[in-house]
Amino acid sequence: MTDKTPYTMSESKDAGVYTPDGGHKSSGNVKIHVSHLQKVFGKLEVLKDISTDIYEGEVVVVIGPSGSGKSTFLRCLNRLEEITGGIVEVDGVDIVGKKTDINRVREHVGMVFQHFNLFNNLNVLDNLTLAPVELKKASKEEARSDAVRMLARVGLEDKAGAYPSQLSGGQKQRVAIARALCMHPDIMLFDEPTSALDPEMVGEVLQVMKQLAAEGMTMVIVTHEMGFAREVSDRVLFMDGGYIVEEGTPQEVILNPKEPRTKDFLDKVL
Amino acid sequence: MGMIITKYGAVLMRAMGQTLLLALLGLFFACIIGMIFGLMSVIRNKPCNIIAMIFVDGIRGVPMIVLAYFIYFGIPYLLNNTFKIGVTLSALQAGTICLALNCGAYMAEIIRAGIQAVDIGQMEAARSLGLPYWKSMRRVVLPQAIRMMIPSIINQFIITLKDTSILSVIGFPELVNRAKGVVANTFMSFETWGIVAVMYLIVILALSRCAKILERRLNHDR
Repeated sequence: MTDKTPYTMSESKDAGVYTPDGGHKSSGNVKIHVSHLQKVFGKLEVLKDISTDIYEGEVVVVIGPSGSGKSTFLRCLNRLEEITGGIVEVDGVDIVGKKTDINRVREHVGMVFQHFNLFNNLNVLDNLTLAPVELKKASKEEARSDAVRMLARVGLEDKAGAYPSQLSGGQKQRVAIARALCMHPDIMLFDEPTSALDPEMVGEVLQVMKQLAAEGMTMVIVTHEMGFAREVSDRVLFMDGGYIVEEGTPQEVILNPKEPRTKDFLDKVL
Repeated sequence: MGMIITKYGAVLMRAMGQTLLLALLGLFFACIIGMIFGLMSVIRNKPCNIIAMIFVDGIRGVPMIVLAYFIYFGIPYLLNNTFKIGVTLSALQAGTICLALNCGAYMAEIIRAGIQAVDIGQMEAARSLGLPYWKSMRRVVLPQAIRMMIPSIINQFIITLKDTSILSVIGFPELVNRAKGVVANTFMSFETWGIVAVMYLIVILALSRCAKILERRLNHDR
């Protein structure tokens, strides 16, 4: 699939990874630049001042108590929430810029939701091919063969004809990941992807995510799965009260938190 | 009874045909009006929301018989006498407008409620893939909304079909209007109105059955 849009960056997948021994590789491309992001709902200030950069190939996990603004932060990255203040740039494109077509930006930023949000009126295959076909990214045949490939990747090639209501939670979430992958995004956002799952189905979804991370996908993941965060992430952001309170490698933030609020939170969830 | 059927059966059947014609025309335009105002009330645009609200509240707040008199007599009178524009509406035209407006207002509410009943996550998921708002609406939200709306829409169709009888007051030759004539000629009130009631009943039962079948068809993936 050729891509003529200005939103794709270089091919170097391993560049810019936040290595455990500290620091970004200097050649790393910034995929998402967030500066002084602020989000207000009515009188409620959910995000007060968030600044961070997410590098190509990096897996960033966002943790924090409920109401800390993690999901809102994630939803601001693809403008599902209108930002109140600050800057969010995806591949150097200001997502609220006057000349920015947000739909073009979103084509390159896949999102996976807590409640899967599969299109209930479409079967699995049509869920996967709807956007590529509608947006003329691929012909119907191309999109179909691509979709079958993606389904195989998440281990659900036999479910192409099923409707969402016929799938288990874990299967739905894997289909949702495959659906996002069909747009060939170079960034994936995960909003508590396992929180609505029965415990026995969490593993299969995390497995798919691990595989994605291993392939070098840039990922931002809001989750409560500390084990997963420790194992897979390059960097952990701990959010509380609308700020990033602490950030660093999982070893730093999860195993040796410095901030009292981080310690407090981790004591409760671990 | 037999006499009514043999002598006036054809008249009443023709009148039923007129009733159905009026209902179909009215419903057709009501669907368009309902879709327009229904969508206007869900999109994020204050002026559109307000226009839709005024339309729905305005139409719902006026009895249909008043609306019928107003459209059939009131508006042409105003145009002829005040603006000196010679306009006459046929009873069918006025009746269709009246039904379309009245039913359209209720349809707008059904459509609004139907769209709002679709989980917001469906729209968000579609948008997150880069689909524009209207594409997401058309391919993802509306198909699900319409499925949920069907029982209410059928209910509204039935109400509108019966409401055509109100338009007997502007002289449209539908079933009630004609039945009045039959009663005037025969003085057989009981038989005539009994037959008319059964005729309505049969048509509406048939409509309900079709609706049930349609509903089952659309729910194949549930």
